[in-house]
This record gives sequence, C-alpha cells and structure tokens, in this order.
Amino acid sequence: MIPAEEKSGIHAWLQTTGGIVGVLLLVQILTGVLLAFYYVPSVDHAYTTVSYVEKVVSSGSWIRSLHHYGSQWLTVFLFIHVIRLFLTRAYSSNKTQWVVSIVLLGLVLAAGGTGYSLPWDARAFFSTRVAEGLMAGLPFVGGMARLWLLGGSDISTVTLSRFFAFHVLVIPAFIGTAIAWRVFRSSIAELFGPRPAIAGGLVFLALALWCLKYPAPLGPSIAEATAEYLPRPGGQFLWLYQSLKYIPGGLGSIAGVVLPGIILSLLVLLPWLKRQRLIGASILGAGLVLVVLMTSVSYLSDRRDQHTSRQLSRQAAQEEVWRREPFKPATITLAAAPAAPESAAAEPPGLYIKFCANCHGRNGAGARQGRLAFPPLLDVSAKPRRTVEDIVALLKDPAAYGLERPMRSFSENLSDEQMREIAHWVVKLKR
Amino acid sequence: MNVERSRRSFLKILPLGVFAGVFASIGSAAFRFLRPKLFAATDRWLDVATLSELTGPQPLSRRIVAEHIAGWATTTEAHNVFVLPAKNNQVLSAICPHEGCEVAWDQGTNRFACPCHESYFAADGSRISGPAARGLDTLPGRVQDGKLQVQYVSKEQATRA
Repeated sequence: MIPAEEKSGIHAWLQTTGGIVGVLLLVQILTGVLLAFYYVPSVDHAYTTVSYVEKVVSSGSWIRSLHHYGSQWLTVFLFIHVIRLFLTRAYSSNKTQWVVSIVLLGLVLAAGGTGYSLPWDARAFFSTRVAEGLMAGLPFVGGMARLWLLGGSDISTVTLSRFFAFHVLVIPAFIGTAIAWRVFRSSIAELFGPRPAIAGGLVFLALALWCLKYPAPLGPSIAEATAEYLPRPGGQFLWLYQSLKYIPGGLGSIAGVVLPGIILSLLVLLPWLKRQRLIGASILGAGLVLVVLMTSVSYLSDRRDQHTSRQLSRQAAQEEVWRREPFKPATITLAAAPAAPESAAAEPPGLYIKFCANCHGRNGAGARQGRLAFPPLLDVSAKPRRTVEDIVALLKDPAAYGLERPMRSFSENLSDEQMREIAHWVVKLKR
Repeated sequence: MNVERSRRSFLKILPLGVFAGVFASIGSAAFRFLRPKLFAATDRWLDVATLSELTGPQPLSRRIVAEHIAGWATTTEAHNVFVLPAKNNQVLSAICPHEGCEVAWDQGTNRFACPCHESYFAADGSRISGPAARGLDTLPGRVQDGKLQVQYVSKEQATRA
C-alpha cells in the first residue's frame, strides 16, 4: 500500500479513516474499562449502577455518553473505512488490513448488540428480546441457539451475565487479537501517519463535545416502563430495526443474522475470490444503500407518525425529569434488619384483649384456666400455615387448621378487617 | 534544512500528541470518575441487648445490625461486638486493631484470640501478646429504656482514633 504521506491534498485526507477508527477504538476501551468500575451485571442492580454513574459519579454521564455514541461513530467510520479500502483495492494489495477491518466490523457490531442489553432499562430489555427472537428463528439450530444465548429457558439475570461476559471479555479479546495482528504485520508509522492522527484527534474532539451536550439515553427501569413505551435501538442498528418491520416473521433471523454472517464471510474471503471487484462492489453498494435508506426511513417515519412522535417526545421529557430526580440507592441486606422496637408490638389491639386475651394471655404468653392450659401465641409465625392470611382463615374455621374446642370460630364477632388487625399483631409476637 | 528537519520531527511526534490528548482528556475525567466518595459515619444508636440479660464475669458476644450508605447501595450489615458485664457493660469492637480480622472469645484460655495473626487480648480487652499494638477498641455506648446501645465505628475510624 502507498503510505499516506506520499499523497497530498484531499486524496490524502480520505486515507485517514484507519486513524479515526483507531482513536475511536481506544476511546471505547478506555471508557469501557472505567464503566466496569461501577457496573454490576445482575438484573437487580444493573439499572441502579448505571443510574449511579449518570447521576452521582463525577464525569460519569460524559464517560458513558462517550462509550454510547462512540460505539455508533465507530461503526459508521469502520463502514466508511471498509468502503475506502475497497475503493483503493486493499483486498489485493494489503490482505491483512482488509481481513482485519471486516472482522472488526463484525466484532464491533456484536459488541454494540451485547452492550445494548447491559443498562437493563426498558429499551435494553426489548433489545434482549429481539436478540432472543433472532436466535430462536435460525433454521435448524434456532431452539438450541436461543437456550445458549439466554443461559436458560427465559431471559434472566444469567442472560445479563452472558451478555456482559461477551461484551467485556470475549469480544474485546478478539478485537485485541485482530488489532495486534494488524499492528505486527505493518509498521506503526504506516498505521499512524500525521494525517490519520490529526483526523482521529479531530473526530475525538467532535465526539467529546457532542457527548458534553448529549448524555447517553437511559430508558425507564423495567418495573417503571408503561405499556406505551416505544423502544428504539442505537443508531448503528436502526437499519436492522426498520428492515425487520418489512420481513415476515420467520425470515427475520435470516435477514438479521444469517445474511449479515454470509456477507461478512464473503467480504473476509474477498482477497481469495474471483471477480473481486463485482462481488465487493455489489455487497458494499447494496449494504450502503440498505443502511442509509432504512436508517432514513426509520428516522422519518418516527417523526411523521403523530402518535409515535408524541410518545417519543413524551419519553424524552420523562427522561429529562428522571435526570433531575435525586439518585435512589439500592438496598442490600447482608443481615436481618434491626427488629422493630418491642414497644411497637407491646400494646395489643383492643379487639385482641376483648376476644383473645382471656385464653391466650394479654401478651400472647398463653394462660391456664383451671385444668385447661391455653397455648401461647409467641413465635406462632414460625410454625407452618400461620401467615396473616392463614390466621384470618383459622379465626373463621379453626377445625380446618386442626384446632379443637374450646377454640371457636369468630366469624360472627369479627369482620375480615378486624381479624386481619389481630393477625398482624399476633405474627409479630416473639419469645 | 533545519526547518525541514524540525517539520519532520514535529510530524513524527504529532500522532503521539494526539494519543496523549485522548489519554489526558479521558484520564482527567477518569480521576474524578474513580475518586472515592467518603461517607459520614452513621451516628445512629443501635440496640445491643437488654440490661437484664447482661450478667456474669465473662464477655458476652452480641451482633449489632448497622446500615451503611456506600456507593449505589444502602447496605445492612451485622457486626460482632463484645459486652463486658464485669466492666460496667463496656462494649468492645470485635475488630482486631492489628489488621482488622475479627477476634473470638476463647472460654478455655479466658482471652480473646485473633484467628489471623495470633494477637491475644485479656477479658477486659487489653493487649496480652502478638503483633497488635493496642487493646481492643471500645465503642461509644449508652443505656436507653433499659437497653444497652452503641454507635458502630468502622475499623478505619477506630484506627485513626
């Protein structure tokens, strides 16, 4: 390949896409490592930890925004880089560079797909559902692929752990290997001449400023999302999201997984194929048209449809409100919470004194009347079938709970509500 | 000639400068991002035991449950303490002042033993032997409504005291 320095003018600047991709990859690695210092891949804490980064941690919103938008910019520049390499016939002049770039494109898309699930907000949950559906629809291996992706029969905290492991360990390991291979097969000077470095630096500056203005989106938590919530994927997947609207159910997996797989494989193998120019041009041309067209259609239809655009702006407004609310910490219990002060349970309700205290004692300690010994109620909640609802049912029909006379039914004396009041006090009795 | 040479060397270090710029801007944010957040110690009084159960010559082991606000969670944690009925119900932290392991009361030898580095403490908490530099720390205590209460003090605070 001709070193960038030997060309001049606009042509030389067009050759800087590799430098931009390198800088954006570096940004993804640095910000990803930082986010891992706070993130917890578990369905009960993922959303809280991401909210914590957004609201409490200094520079957290900027770092997360760099990671979020950086992944979209990286995909775009990697795609442009591949087109540029094709136009300069790198597939025959520098096979390593070509193969590594195609492999990186696949890996970066995979990292984006798995990363989308990690915040575990409503949009992450839907994106995981779509990944599940795409896997399940694969011919022959669909059922098995779905189970392996989810780590079980349904989306769970195990699924989130898997996406996390892929996102931060497996895929970055492959990306690192690909980059190392590329670096060892060429000199640093060839990789990073002054022009690619300047271009990379300028793109980073633009991204950094963009991220100061626009924080990465975070939808409502799954518990708070309403039925009206409209999830939208990241910019790099809008084309797939929009295409899936036109493809009948069963074929979605072919279009979303099998076809991109075949296309990437063909591109990787391009240096060893015949009719390289024709195959490459058709694939990249069709891909470019599809991506640009579908992304634009998705963008426009969201704005044209009044109902959709109203809901999307409502969601944006709700997110704004959420950002201004103070952070709510999660609760972790490593020990039983301190027992409520005994005085709270000490005073029995009036109805208990009227109907129960004669036999069971004023404080539930039991009582003796002549030859009859009445059982204490202390620690009664530790026994089987003695929840509040059980005790209400027991007060109506003691025989059903194996109790004998003189314990009688109180259905005629007490309403359900009154029985519940007594039961709530009784279950708190402790020795 | 000189101008040409300095232009060339500038072009050589330019890529390094760009990388340094990216590292510096994310790195300075990283410093703020990772900076530890200090939380004020909880000054809540925690119940240890009712006074009537605190009798006898030996230290009594009790668990107190304290809430700590740290990072993105409020954590409810149990901590061991020892009450000394023989010493006007003084409360000792179970944390060894050496490296922070939790000491246990050894009834056979009538002393506290640290399971990590073999520091030993007498029944009143004073140091007997081992690498610990001082005796077990006492926790601030009070009696309220017939109950003994303490304020929990973390190891870091105890070490500073």
